[in-house]
Amino acid sequence: MRSRAAPLVCLCLLLGACTRARSRPGELRINLETEPPTLDWNLATDGVSIIAIEQLMRGLTRLDSELRPEPDLAESWAVSDEGRTYTFKLRPGVLWSDGVPLRAQHFVDSWRRLLDPKTAAEYAYFLFGIHNARAFNSGKVSDFGAVGVRAPDDRTLVVELDAPLVYFPALVNFMVTFPLRADLVARYGERWTDPGNLVTLGPFVLEEWRHEYRLVLRANERYWGGRPPLDRITAFMVQEGSTALVLFEQGLLDLVRIPPLEIRRYTNRPEYLRRPLLRGYYYGFNVRKPPFDDARVRRAFALAIDRSKFPELLRGGEQPWPSWIPPGMPDANPGLGLGFDPERARALLKEAGVDPARLPPVRIVYNNDQTHKLVAELVQAFWHDHLGVRVELQNREWKVFLKEVETDTPPVFRLGWGADFPDPDNFMNLFTSYSENNHTGWANPRYDALVERAAREADPGERQQLYDQAQRLLLEEDVPIVPLFVTSANFAVQPRVKGFVPSPMDLFFFEQVRAE
Amino acid sequence: MIRYTLGRVLAGLLVVWVVATLTFLLLRFLPGGPFDKERSLPPEIMRNLAHRYALDRPLGAQYLDYLARLARGDLGPSYKYVGRDVADILRDAVPVSLELGALAFALAVSGGIALGLAAGARRGRIVDRLVTLGSLVGVSAPSFVIGAGLILVFGLFLRWLPAGLWEGPLYAVLPALTLAALPTAYAAQLTRAQVGAVMDQDYVRTARALGVPEARVRRRHVLRNALLAVMTYSGPLLANLLTGSFVVEHIYAVPGMGRYFVSAVANRDYPLVLGVTLVYAALVVLANLAVDLSYAWLDPRIRVGSPSE
Repeated sequence: MRSRAAPLVCLCLLLGACTRARSRPGELRINLETEPPTLDWNLATDGVSIIAIEQLMRGLTRLDSELRPEPDLAESWAVSDEGRTYTFKLRPGVLWSDGVPLRAQHFVDSWRRLLDPKTAAEYAYFLFGIHNARAFNSGKVSDFGAVGVRAPDDRTLVVELDAPLVYFPALVNFMVTFPLRADLVARYGERWTDPGNLVTLGPFVLEEWRHEYRLVLRANERYWGGRPPLDRITAFMVQEGSTALVLFEQGLLDLVRIPPLEIRRYTNRPEYLRRPLLRGYYYGFNVRKPPFDDARVRRAFALAIDRSKFPELLRGGEQPWPSWIPPGMPDANPGLGLGFDPERARALLKEAGVDPARLPPVRIVYNNDQTHKLVAELVQAFWHDHLGVRVELQNREWKVFLKEVETDTPPVFRLGWGADFPDPDNFMNLFTSYSENNHTGWANPRYDALVERAAREADPGERQQLYDQAQRLLLEEDVPIVPLFVTSANFAVQPRVKGFVPSPMDLFFFEQVRAE
Repeated sequence: MIRYTLGRVLAGLLVVWVVATLTFLLLRFLPGGPFDKERSLPPEIMRNLAHRYALDRPLGAQYLDYLARLARGDLGPSYKYVGRDVADILRDAVPVSLELGALAFALAVSGGIALGLAAGARRGRIVDRLVTLGSLVGVSAPSFVIGAGLILVFGLFLRWLPAGLWEGPLYAVLPALTLAALPTAYAAQLTRAQVGAVMDQDYVRTARALGVPEARVRRRHVLRNALLAVMTYSGPLLANLLTGSFVVEHIYAVPGMGRYFVSAVANRDYPLVLGVTLVYAALVVLANLAVDLSYAWLDPRIRVGSPSE
């Protein structure tokens, strides 16, 4: 037996040497986790596609380290007509990877395609602020000429809005608004994003796309900002977080997210990198059904939650946050929202005439996930211990959960929200009475009016006032939601990788990254 | 034989049609649709999406459309992977699962038979006990436990083999072993039991009494008869292994079709679910057909019965 096993062991050792092969200098291997559903930036909606697209493409603006929009493909812009008209001047000398110069018409083509009902783009609503855009998307206006966007010459893009939107320059940093080569879409149809067909103008170009396995990007020699230091990025799609981490430890991957259970093991290692995100985690109430149809009851339940316990429970860099606009976003205000005050909570319940002992069990519904389960169990304990209320936990498969939240909203449910663009409107708009994402049933015209006024308000001080008032309504008076904490991203990065700074919107930019 | 074969093929087609229809209907009873996401979409956008994928038509019309397209070999577009057809997705994924599955099948059948023979011929001895114990573990431990164990030992501690990815033959070792663990154990148990039964048969005793050498007895009389059970098992096993395993492909990041069995349902990607289900159903039907036909060829008595029995 031994004589037969020996060659096998030798073979394994020999082969084993290969697994230690590391990436070459100039090559970065990252884990994308899952297949990007598309590289078509008009149609993409998810966090994976955006990571790939942000390396391939650029927008009119980019965000500086303070998350303020700064010129990118637009060299400058001017606002006129009391904030209703934006005129973008494009940067000269920008070439697509096939050598064609960028023209303002490429933006018009992209936005026309984004808004065309036949495209059925999920994020078409990002441009609904543009004059007639919503009408065009819903088929009420069939002539795109009536929509408020035009290119009077190759370097000028004029956008007319229905009402002023002070965050419009931040909005056009979002991928769905990136310019598009309509000639190539016409030539290749749905295959225009395949390797060989896809023409882009960012720091990298697409070299290979082996579906469900890996995406290879190569430095764009024609990039107007100068060729990036990296020669190549290979983005693998390893879904299982613990496998990705072993591959990282084997040196086969350079950059991976750390699965929640492994974070503790990594926190003191030099490869560990944590980045707080503009992403809030909240509990919502169904305000249409008792007992949560009474604002005092909702306030009582909010006051019985001790947010300081979440970080030690979850250990993924969660930051307790009682208000809705997340830290790092303009106009964020940690002084707002209801803190932990069990006595006041009990008094409020009494005032509302609710006897906890006779209240039927309160149902919390969440989707299957370890983190959501832990959070729900902790909240259950808080409400039981501080209010004497019985709480029933129910978990659901993701899509079943979403359907239930939308159509038969549970008394209490969890949801999260991550920033698409770094403006408070992206968070505050969520709970307007007409928002599709407001599942609580809560509607307050005062809140709607405040949020609408803030979206038009150019003066930062005034804007802060408006958002503070709106947040007080949302979090201290009516309380349809209870924000619990904001989350962080946790990475393991090989020491040979320099200059990787993930954005608080959970985006990666590899333009300046080096791999030694 | 021709009538029998024809009957079997028709029955197989019927099975595939029933599977397609049931899957189509069951999917629509699942709460939640392909475009329900964490961020809800405005109604006009939901309407545009439903229109683009013809989901705004009556269910009956959608079903007839689906059958008509299926008859032309068109599996439709994926809802999740924008601009990709289900056929494209399967074309990329199926060969990988075939490769890994064939490797695991070869490992399972050869290893299982060898171990089963060794154990069956030496009943109650140490080899038999080891094989029995090992096969018990193999049958009862779920593949994610075996996979995690192999990654821990060969990936993390010994660092001999990559813990995932699909870059060459070396990368297939751990997934193939994990995938083969259960069928190997099962084939070993089957073979061991059959060998035990055959060894007690009169014709074996007669052969021995006539002075036929032991090696020849085992090869000609024991092995041949013991293999029938493994052969029956190997048809569905082959279909099962070739279509990939969600767990194995998931933990080793193998780009096969197994992962779609779960992810396509989670995404409510109806055409993709139907696509993978049909491939699986067709393979099971084909494998069973092959087993049935080989039986009929081996044993003429089977041909007499009507195919529906």
